[in-house]
Amino acid sequence: MNYSTSQFKNGLKLMLDGNPCSIVNNEIVKPGKGQAFNRVKFKDLITGKTLEKTFKSGESLEAADVMELEMQYLYSDGEKWHFMEPESFEQFDLGKESMGTSLNYLVEQDNCIVTLWNNNPISVSPPNHVTLEVVDTDPGLKGDTAGTGGKPATLNTGVVVQVPLFVGIGDKVKVDTRTNEYTGRA
Amino acid sequence: MSKFKENLVNYQNLTRKIRDFFYSRQVIEVVTPSLLDTPTTDVYIDSIELSVNHALSKSSKFYLHTSPELEMKRLLSKGSGDIFQICQVFRDNEQGNINSNEFTMLEFYRVDFDMHQLMDEIEELLVVLGKNDPVQKMSYAQAFFDFSDIDILNSDIEELKKILQSLGLNSDYDWIEDMQTVLFVHLIEPKLKDIPVCFIYDFPKHQAALAQIDGLVANRFEMYIKGIEIANGYQELQSSEDYRSRFNQELIKREKLSKSIPAIDEQFLKELSSSSLPFCSGVAIGIERLFTLTSL
Repeated sequence: MNYSTSQFKNGLKLMLDGNPCSIVNNEIVKPGKGQAFNRVKFKDLITGKTLEKTFKSGESLEAADVMELEMQYLYSDGEKWHFMEPESFEQFDLGKESMGTSLNYLVEQDNCIVTLWNNNPISVSPPNHVTLEVVDTDPGLKGDTAGTGGKPATLNTGVVVQVPLFVGIGDKVKVDTRTNEYTGRA
Repeated sequence: MSKFKENLVNYQNLTRKIRDFFYSRQVIEVVTPSLLDTPTTDVYIDSIELSVNHALSKSSKFYLHTSPELEMKRLLSKGSGDIFQICQVFRDNEQGNINSNEFTMLEFYRVDFDMHQLMDEIEELLVVLGKNDPVQKMSYAQAFFDFSDIDILNSDIEELKKILQSLGLNSDYDWIEDMQTVLFVHLIEPKLKDIPVCFIYDFPKHQAALAQIDGLVANRFEMYIKGIEIANGYQELQSSEDYRSRFNQELIKREKLSKSIPAIDEQFLKELSSSSLPFCSGVAIGIERLFTLTSL
């Protein structure tokens, strides 16, 4: 199945140079004199890189068979990360290179979005907010409750996040996975 | 005052300032027909066709003007001198974020002006409209030297094909001007977004449209505000023969693209053959875009 430039819209998944890509921005350029073009910004769904291309209007690209499914993260054996689609109980696994920064935020039983291309998983997105446990941090200075400054804390996934001084080991904290920022105690 | 009403007043102020600007320079405001017997021959612009009923005879076809260019040139050939017009124009197959089937155009012609004098006057008009940003001017070739390493005027169709391929772009174009345009849209236009006001002049001769040609370049310019095309101007062709030959070139391209082949406006050519256009330069400016971009 092909999509022509007139059907281009944000989020549409297309094949470009052999990789599945998603349209991030589609601009129609019609010079006063001269033919019409679509100037399109894509995100490569495998490498995560963005690229820009210009198509003459009427050109078409092959659709990418890409699906985003909510799955449950089961476990990791150190080499592969295993996920399950809760309706079909079908299991999928990804290697470390495809996990990206999701490694920092996923704990077993958490739900996340897995992107499948031709039914093979290519990437994982954690929820925007996750709750994790502090496993290591310096004891806070007594009396400092204003939250001025901060200190690094290692969470149970291994990720290090800047937290206020009053946060201690064993506390559960909320983290924004898009910015890697502490947003509050859970 | 509500935001809505404020916008109406602001638009009125814009057109009033434009009119005052030209009145004070003795440029005459004209009105020309928008219902024409012949559609445009422009390769990439299509006229909207209408069926019009006459009182006594059967209906016939008319076309909404896509720009008042030829009708205003008729006036120039008859000795009108400097003229301007603000009117609605109509184009088929144009819709998009910043394109529409109907928009408002300011078109004006200045006798004895070359292209550079006309650009200077547009700069003065922008100041009157409150757009005081520094204005940059660069030739089409210089823009390619500054923003890429392409010698656009001296690259032939095979060289441009290779460049397009190296950029991962489609290189299947019939004409060199289309390759130049896709490279301009892909490489240059995005850079112009950082420039408040930019004139690009001396277009390659293959993109002359109805401008005079001088060696490798045409005396044609465009003005961009923050990367958006606002104006397109020429140092105008003068003789009937030159117009006929350009119209014919456009029709050949339309035929190759399997587009409709309009009849040439023979009446226009006939009038020009009895008295040709004076030496002049003219420009078309998109008013809605100008309104939006001058109020930013």
